[in-house]
Amino acid sequence: MHDNEAVLDRSTRPALRSAEERGTRRLVVSGDWTLATLREAQAAVDGVEAPNGPAHEIDIGDMRRLDTAGALTLVGLRDGKSAAATADFSSARAEHRILLDEIARAAPASFEPPPPRAGAAVETLRRFLSAATAIGRDAVRLTMFLGETTAALGRVVARPKRFRVKAFTHQLQQTGLSAVPIIALVSFLIGGVVMQQAAFQLQKFGAETMSIDMLGILALRELGVILAAVMVAGRSASAFTAQIGTMKMREEIDAMRTLGIDPIETLVLPRVLALMIALPLLVFLADVMALAGGAVMAKLYLSLDTEMYLQRLNSAVQAKHLYVGLIKAPFAALVIGLVGCLEGLSVRGSAESVGTQVTTAVVKAIFLVLVLDAVFAIFLSAAGF
Amino acid sequence: MATPHLDDAPQHYAIRIRGLTKHFGSQLIFENLNLDVRAGEILAIAGGSGTGKSVLLRTILKLLPFEAGSVEILGSNFASLSKTERVKVERQVGVLFQDGALFSSLTVLQNVQVPMREHLKLPQKTMDALALLKIAMVGLPPNAAYKYPSELSGGMRKRAGLARALALDPRIVFLDEPTSGLDPIGAAAFDRLIRSLQRTLGLTVYMITHDLDSIFAVCDRVAVLADKHIVREGAPMDLVRDPGHPWVREYFCGERGRQIAKAS
Repeated sequence: MHDNEAVLDRSTRPALRSAEERGTRRLVVSGDWTLATLREAQAAVDGVEAPNGPAHEIDIGDMRRLDTAGALTLVGLRDGKSAAATADFSSARAEHRILLDEIARAAPASFEPPPPRAGAAVETLRRFLSAATAIGRDAVRLTMFLGETTAALGRVVARPKRFRVKAFTHQLQQTGLSAVPIIALVSFLIGGVVMQQAAFQLQKFGAETMSIDMLGILALRELGVILAAVMVAGRSASAFTAQIGTMKMREEIDAMRTLGIDPIETLVLPRVLALMIALPLLVFLADVMALAGGAVMAKLYLSLDTEMYLQRLNSAVQAKHLYVGLIKAPFAALVIGLVGCLEGLSVRGSAESVGTQVTTAVVKAIFLVLVLDAVFAIFLSAAGF
Repeated sequence: MATPHLDDAPQHYAIRIRGLTKHFGSQLIFENLNLDVRAGEILAIAGGSGTGKSVLLRTILKLLPFEAGSVEILGSNFASLSKTERVKVERQVGVLFQDGALFSSLTVLQNVQVPMREHLKLPQKTMDALALLKIAMVGLPPNAAYKYPSELSGGMRKRAGLARALALDPRIVFLDEPTSGLDPIGAAAFDRLIRSLQRTLGLTVYMITHDLDSIFAVCDRVAVLADKHIVREGAPMDLVRDPGHPWVREYFCGERGRQIAKAS
């Protein structure tokens, strides 16, 4: 069978050499053709020389082990230019033959190019446009969701028995009570910092006691509500999205719908209502704690004792400042709750999607809270409050 | 196909379990369980719900600890192996989990390439070619390669999971209920796929299944898990003739079992 140069190579190294007898040019394959020896195999295929033209057959009788990777390389060799168009494998063992046939059958379909991608410029433009229109779409979606939630509220008001008291109280605890320590601490610290900075700057004009007026009005009108709302957006919007999103991913929401349970009524309404009750209370807490922080700083920096601080505060601050702050709280809560629930319901399929939606929910909720605050500030000062 | 002339030489066994005992808390799951999986065979593990078929699979794969006994895969006992030797054995093993367990943030193509990336240094072009070949071999259309798992149907996810399990050309493949959740045509196609892959790649297949059709269509042997150990093992038709255990009798000699056995 083999010509004179034939040396049986029984090592595992994949090798390829050409031979010729009675006018039949052959490529003789030896060694292991597996994933582990793939580099050597590919190098052997790339380096094969066919001085007298392409081979008529590929002899794999001496080949040792073969797996799919090796078979793919061999099929590539057979269909390449070092083998004639009619070339095929010879002396193949039965199991090698089956594998090679299977690979040859599967391989042509496997080199389909990936779906075409648009050019970089077009892609950038497309992204820009989709981001720009996304803002509009989001606004529409949120408004529609507000409508759905309001309709669900209407149904519940008509038939109060349907209200999920247990879910509501649970959410009240989760979003309200559990947030008390962190909001109290943060407000206290920020109140103190504002007081200290104001006193330091106003000292230059000999008007350091004015810093109490400033802190009082700032804390009640803006600081308390923004601090509490941002903290709650971070804590609760993310929690709502994660909870509802996981349920959505596991088809629990679909299951509820088929069982005749309205997810808006059972999941969204208790969360949004609980937040609308909890946030005003948390804002009041933040107000008090910010003023307490100011009192401590006034004592340390201005040597004003608490009684004088309170007297000054009393003359500087009016009840309307408190109301201006508090009136914003339920609206902020509504926005936070709706965004959190809506993003949760927008989760699609994968676990990764839950993560993306949670991030989106927090960013959107904080952004909208700040926008809302700005709108209120303009409106209320125009209205003379 | 079972290797002819079987003897007790260890190289003829892909998996050997001896005296396996396992508890979950105070609940005894396996007591003195013995099981041999011969190299090159397709073995079905059958058993009622809650008998611990999945637990046994996870125990063999070292995903769960056990108290007593030994589990040998391809002649090596995991407990006595160093980290690097263990990785070598793990590369010889592919697993298809029930719902595919594909990584949801990666496309099917990337999923199949994960084991290659982790264990081999190959050029991207070669990995693409190999992964696309595996995807074609499990019968997925080429455009499925660029889809994410959430965009695939259950049957396609199973095929994609199998393609990932086969990525490194393993010698043993574990399948956890491969045909559950597929329609009968899809299930039969999956059976044929497993049989043809087993023939072409010379695989040893360890398959958890409830599906009598698959057992009679593709399995060389069945091992039945009941009463905390393997109560019966043998060729499916042998178990039909001589059940020897109430659950086995109910399973193979019930109405459905008889019909399928007669048909095959």
